[in-house]
Amino acid sequence: MSAAGEGRVVVALGRRALTVQFRRAQLLMPTFVLPLMLLAVIASGTSAAQGLRGFPDVASYLGFVIPGTIVQGALLAGLTSGTAMAGDIEGGFFDRLLAAPVRRSSLVIGRLAGTLGLSVLQTTFFLCVGLLFGAHYPGGPGAALAAIALAAITAVAIGGLAAAIALRTGSLSLLQSIFPFVFVLLFSAPAFFPRELLTPALRSVAEYNPLTYVVEAVRGLLTGNEAIGDPWTGLAAALLLAAATVSLATLALRERLRTA
Amino acid sequence: MSVALALWRRSLNEVLRVRGALLPATIAPVVFLLGMTGQFGRLTGLDGFPTDSYLSWIVPLSCLQGAGFAGAATGSNLARDIEHGWFDRLLVAPVPRPVLLVGPILGGVTRSLVPATVVLVVGLALGAELPGGVPGLIALYVACAGFCTVAGLWGTFLALTFRTQQAGPLMQQGVFLAVFLSTAYTPEVLLRGWLAGAAGVNPVTHVLELARQATVSGIEPSLAHTLPGLLALAGMFAALGALALVGLRRLGR
Repeated sequence: MSAAGEGRVVVALGRRALTVQFRRAQLLMPTFVLPLMLLAVIASGTSAAQGLRGFPDVASYLGFVIPGTIVQGALLAGLTSGTAMAGDIEGGFFDRLLAAPVRRSSLVIGRLAGTLGLSVLQTTFFLCVGLLFGAHYPGGPGAALAAIALAAITAVAIGGLAAAIALRTGSLSLLQSIFPFVFVLLFSAPAFFPRELLTPALRSVAEYNPLTYVVEAVRGLLTGNEAIGDPWTGLAAALLLAAATVSLATLALRERLRTA
Repeated sequence: MSVALALWRRSLNEVLRVRGALLPATIAPVVFLLGMTGQFGRLTGLDGFPTDSYLSWIVPLSCLQGAGFAGAATGSNLARDIEHGWFDRLLVAPVPRPVLLVGPILGGVTRSLVPATVVLVVGLALGAELPGGVPGLIALYVACAGFCTVAGLWGTFLALTFRTQQAGPLMQQGVFLAVFLSTAYTPEVLLRGWLAGAAGVNPVTHVLELARQATVSGIEPSLAHTLPGLLALAGMFAALGALALVGLRRLGR
């Protein structure tokens, strides 16, 4: 099939992934509502932290913690795509796709295209809700767009990892049960607090978590202060992670076909 | 009584026979415990924080969270039994209908001991304090068992209302909201804005205070810290129990 034909397959599969997501309200709950609930509680429950010595001078505390919510959304969007893929495998739909005359990698990329679309919608939604509740983004609209793009790449990266697990195991229940580990990735990065104010043990762990650089980059973009986070380092971390996990997913698909 | 015991044993079998069934419900609160402590540990430096160990502040919260999720799972299991038709067969049994709910909720309370204990042990191993001693520990476990019962009734009410496992996330979100719209992260004096108001009227704030007698040095075991928590649990038990019974009465009509 031509490149244009493969592109159409990717778009069609991406659109299907998004449609399924929006037709099943229970899938929207964890991806859209849960991060906002956590944001609301953290923004209000810990805002006294601005009085701590060493806390950066920011225009709004909500604007400071919202990058954590954006990255949490990206993690959940990625995990949801893996869960949906495992559902397709268990339900037999993925086997039917394998019989189609298309490149196999397009099946993975199509699923991840849906994740990318979901993340763009999600991050835009989070930023708008934040704005409604008084968050300021001194970085301006351009920086907000860059933050949306960075979150989308991160969602694809996590989606690649979740797809690799789904393809390797084909187990829906396994994918559902790794939900808590999303929070391991989130909390081992400075998602809601400056890295300098994390406990020493967590600060050491955070250095090795690529999401640290993504969340700091989003924060740097939105606050318009590169001293808080360098956007280019965040972009490099997100791209490297995405390249690694999408390769893993492709390898897992190849392995699945070899052993099937 | 024997029916309730049989159903209690059945709900425990699900845990014993399904490998790893308790793992997510246990891991999630431990992850929250470690994550929250790492992220917000420095908050104890603020004036008005009753302890200088944030881990000690968060341990009871994570214990309640684990117990609450174990309780909410009772609702998910009931919804599954309703969907598969198993509960319809129980309904024709010659026993009072409320008895059919007692066993699974007792099962939830028994299951909740696992996450609560794991969280406590992890917390203590990492340096959480235990100034409340045995009375404090009793208060912590009473709070966990009571909150698990309340969460079980909430899940049961939703299961009987929606009669589908798809209501599962709603059951968990209810527990999540109840726990976090309280003095979860900081004491009431440090809360700002709408959350201060929400925590003031949320009965779980008092349940948390009951539980925190075990690990927070500024909240010593006393009747003043115990009674409000017990009353809050009794109030939630009465309200959600009534709703669950209404749902049960409507089933099959």
